[in-house]
Amino acid sequence: MAMETSFALILPVAFLAGKVSPALRNVVAVLAAAVSVLLVAVLYGQNLKLDYYALPFLGVELAMRTDALAWFFAIAVAAIGLLSIVFSLRYMQGRERLDFYYFAMLVVNAAMLGIVFSADLLSLFVFWEVMSWSTYLLISYRGGKAVAAGLKYMVMSIAGSCAMLLAIASLYATCGTLDLHGVAQGIAKASPGYSLFILLMFVLGFGIKNAIVPLHVWLPDAHSEAVSPFSAVLSSVLVRMGVYGLMLVMYGVLGEAGLARLKLGPVTFRHVLCWVAGVTILVPLLIAMLQDDAKRVVAWSSVGHGGYMLLGIAFGTALGVAGGLFHTLNYAVCVALLFLAVGAVEHRTGTRDLNELGGLMKRMPVTFVTALIAVCGLIGVPLTNGFVSKWFIYKTLITEGYPFLALVALIGTWATVLYGYKLIHNAFLGQLPSGYREVREVPFSMQLPMILLSLAVILFGVLPGIAVRAIGSAQASLGLKALESGLWALPPAVGELNTINILSGVIASLALVYVAFALATKARRVDQSDSYGAGSYVPMDRYQYSVNFYQRAHELIGPYVRDRVDEFYRWLVGKAEGFFEQARKMYSGNVNTYAAYIVIFLALLIILKLGGQI
Amino acid sequence: MDREEILKMLKSPANWGQKYSLWVVYFCTGCGVIEIPPVITSRWDAERFGVLPMATPRQGNLFLITGYVSLKTLGAIIRTYDQMPDPKYVVGFGSCPVNGGMYWDSYNTIKHLDKYLPVDGWIAGCMPRPEAIFMAVVHLWQMIDKGIATGYKRYKENYGYYERNQREILPHLAKFGRVETTAGRNS
Amino acid sequence: MLTRIALILALPVVGFLVAVLFMGLSRKITARIQRRYGPPLYQPIIDVVKLLTQKENISHGILFDLGILLGLAGAFVTIVFIPAGGIQPLSTSGDFLVVLYLMLLSPLGVALAAGASENPNASIGVSRKFILALGYEVPFLMAALAVMTRFGTTSLVQIVSSQQGSVLDWGALALPLPALATFLVLPAMLGIRPFDFAAAPQEIASGPMVELGGKYLGFAAIQGALHTYIVVALFVDLFLGGAANMLTFFAKMLAVFFVGVCINAVLPRFRVGQALRYLWKWPTILAFVGLVIAALRRG
Repeated sequence: MAMETSFALILPVAFLAGKVSPALRNVVAVLAAAVSVLLVAVLYGQNLKLDYYALPFLGVELAMRTDALAWFFAIAVAAIGLLSIVFSLRYMQGRERLDFYYFAMLVVNAAMLGIVFSADLLSLFVFWEVMSWSTYLLISYRGGKAVAAGLKYMVMSIAGSCAMLLAIASLYATCGTLDLHGVAQGIAKASPGYSLFILLMFVLGFGIKNAIVPLHVWLPDAHSEAVSPFSAVLSSVLVRMGVYGLMLVMYGVLGEAGLARLKLGPVTFRHVLCWVAGVTILVPLLIAMLQDDAKRVVAWSSVGHGGYMLLGIAFGTALGVAGGLFHTLNYAVCVALLFLAVGAVEHRTGTRDLNELGGLMKRMPVTFVTALIAVCGLIGVPLTNGFVSKWFIYKTLITEGYPFLALVALIGTWATVLYGYKLIHNAFLGQLPSGYREVREVPFSMQLPMILLSLAVILFGVLPGIAVRAIGSAQASLGLKALESGLWALPPAVGELNTINILSGVIASLALVYVAFALATKARRVDQSDSYGAGSYVPMDRYQYSVNFYQRAHELIGPYVRDRVDEFYRWLVGKAEGFFEQARKMYSGNVNTYAAYIVIFLALLIILKLGGQI
Repeated sequence: MDREEILKMLKSPANWGQKYSLWVVYFCTGCGVIEIPPVITSRWDAERFGVLPMATPRQGNLFLITGYVSLKTLGAIIRTYDQMPDPKYVVGFGSCPVNGGMYWDSYNTIKHLDKYLPVDGWIAGCMPRPEAIFMAVVHLWQMIDKGIATGYKRYKENYGYYERNQREILPHLAKFGRVETTAGRNS
Repeated sequence: MLTRIALILALPVVGFLVAVLFMGLSRKITARIQRRYGPPLYQPIIDVVKLLTQKENISHGILFDLGILLGLAGAFVTIVFIPAGGIQPLSTSGDFLVVLYLMLLSPLGVALAAGASENPNASIGVSRKFILALGYEVPFLMAALAVMTRFGTTSLVQIVSSQQGSVLDWGALALPLPALATFLVLPAMLGIRPFDFAAAPQEIASGPMVELGGKYLGFAAIQGALHTYIVVALFVDLFLGGAANMLTFFAKMLAVFFVGVCINAVLPRFRVGQALRYLWKWPTILAFVGLVIAALRRG
């Protein structure tokens, strides 16, 4: 708890320190982030509650609490925040307004920690708002197109926050308190229609942040235009605050009984939410396949994988909720790593257009290996963390008898395979254009976060039990059935998955194959120009053959996977602007017209007051 | 397989493999290649000898120089030959690689392939019939057995001689200078 | 425990031998269909021996090497998780979902090696391969989900044992539409004509294998053979009842493979767009209807 107050003190210190010297500011920023990681780690396993502010005129005590669910999200937030700040040290060097940048990064960090640690809805809302506007500041940091992207984000975020505020005010009026337990008890007594209304308002608010399908339009622009370290934080933990909020509202406030009451015939609210999540998986991941800008690919992938998390959580079984929460953690690690890697490439080559890059594996090997591991984690190759969480989700969908949702999830993974390979191929494989022959690897302070994150990908893939146990206690803290699991194997009743056996199989096969490989003649290394070119040479720099990498698929599915929601919003905005343009004509600037308005309005008032007694 | 074959196989599996799995680089160098499709299709079926056409030089180990060799093609042939991994065999197919054949007085063809590439065997004719190709394959097997199909070794040992000849006739060959190519020049 | 380890080691070896036999059979049967004699049945062994004993090998770097190694190792690992006529040593460590994702390892390895080849033909070949995979995975996943829903389990061992009763219990008769759909996409999964455009020798100079020579090509050839084994074994396990002993299992595999060889011998090649349109039309419709029926029967 003390960290919150210390954070509140540190933020202006970081800003002021920058005025003294850049090195001091960097040290303060990194220390602040590191200290927060330590403080959160110390809180493992504890259930505390702290009242920190009283609002006597509302009769509300603002409180913070820590329990297993809060700790799970907090450690992810703190760790990725620290790694992003370490990455920014060299990435952002030489840009302007850096004091402001580090200040805003720390504010975002603090706000997210505040969100997960808040015990009542009002502090949740306050920290949510702090996070929203500080995110806007960071998204539009670069200026230019980033300002428009930030504005789009801000408008949608405000809409979501208004919905949340409406729900919170209504809950206060109904239940008399804003404490989570009190609200839960209050809602249990209310009608199903009322709880559906509250849930819908919260789903709007949290769904806009988590970017589920009709509400996702801000995400691709915002993620691509923000600076890479912040994109990493944004897509890995910031949007997952929506997941945290949904967990809290669906299971902490409404509870399973409350959710079960919301149905219309055989179709429950859970079904609807699962299908929304299904659409969120399928269409954005197919759109990601067709993008040419590296960060847009990862941004659309963020939207799609948010669907996996929502699917797992909305599905409700122990395996499902565990899968959804585990995927939140896994995806956070993978996408942060991927944004950092793309940022590293952009830092050295100056571009993130996939149609211009190529062959960087030879010049930036560490970035390549970590990006490859991240993409394998996204896809769900066995032995990476993404595989285990996706396995949970598929298994529960199939055993509970929802094959169509499982089909959508599985096809989403194949779309991920396609765009993942395209990202790796266009940036790192293939031929190295002569313009990039002198590109160097990024400095160590940028490599370190990437290496640590890729180790986490492998660790959680081979020993998933480490995280699944924490998730089990998070589930228990919300009153859900917890998933039991061993360190690397699941109990037979749950399913057949033993990651250590898979690992040993892979290692043994690799060893066997390597022996055969080494016994044959040692290979001679040839240069890039000594490649098959039909008796001639492959023209270098004359054409970039990774353009239109999936041309045929693009032709077939392109027309169907346009972002129609974005087009709808733009149409709506266009119509609204047209309407407001017309309405503006009321202000003609002519005093006679204004006098006429006043006279007519008074006449109308008098007529209304007299009623029918003229 | 009779007992002799089995003994030969056990003595040197590498030779056994090289013999019965000659993969031809499917590079049609000249008009002589018109005889190759009949050889590899059903009527004369080269596959029963283990001979298959392969798309790229990395995958092939037999190079049939079919027909006349113009100067431009020679550049491509040399590059293709350089890209093949050892052990590799070159067979001059038709009269043109032997002594110029029908184009003995042309300004644009080379008359003696032997000066630029090490050749393991020749097939005379214009064109040779498919049966002649099979006789050449069997002859190559015998040479491999005796260990005298050593064109690739000759190339490495006498590389100076071959390179001088190549440089004399094709001074602009890319391997002698810059490896990057610009518009208009591709060999 | 020791028998388990012995089985785990033996299964890939047996799979490898069967795969090599299938390759030889494929060339011989294709030859006979084309009214010629064809190479001897042990020709693939001669080819692999030649490739592995080649005196010089060409490599494009460390990822080139590692990619090919991963491709072959991934295939061996996948074989161990597929029941083969009563032999299922690692059945409690991985179910059908694990197998579906282990099947990703070996194409990924080959794709990485192809990317490291620095050749446009290789990249085009890999992009075609992935597009084809997206094409056949849609109907195949529907059919696989229909099987898992109908038998109520994700474990391949249980799927096989549910089909042991009689011929009427076979997946092909219990789920005729998904079985037909999978049969229609089987050539795509095997990478044979009419869907062999990913490694088209005449168009893109053998695609991903353009720079592979010597031991690399040998490993890639073995990986292709093992991939055929994996796909045909999965088909037999899902739809043809698996088997209680290995001989019956391999006989069933041979039957399926024979049909594949006949199709490969007589058909020409699709273009990529044509292939996608075919795969997403009738096989998808059949598999989808089959899935709906299976879901309704369960629910």
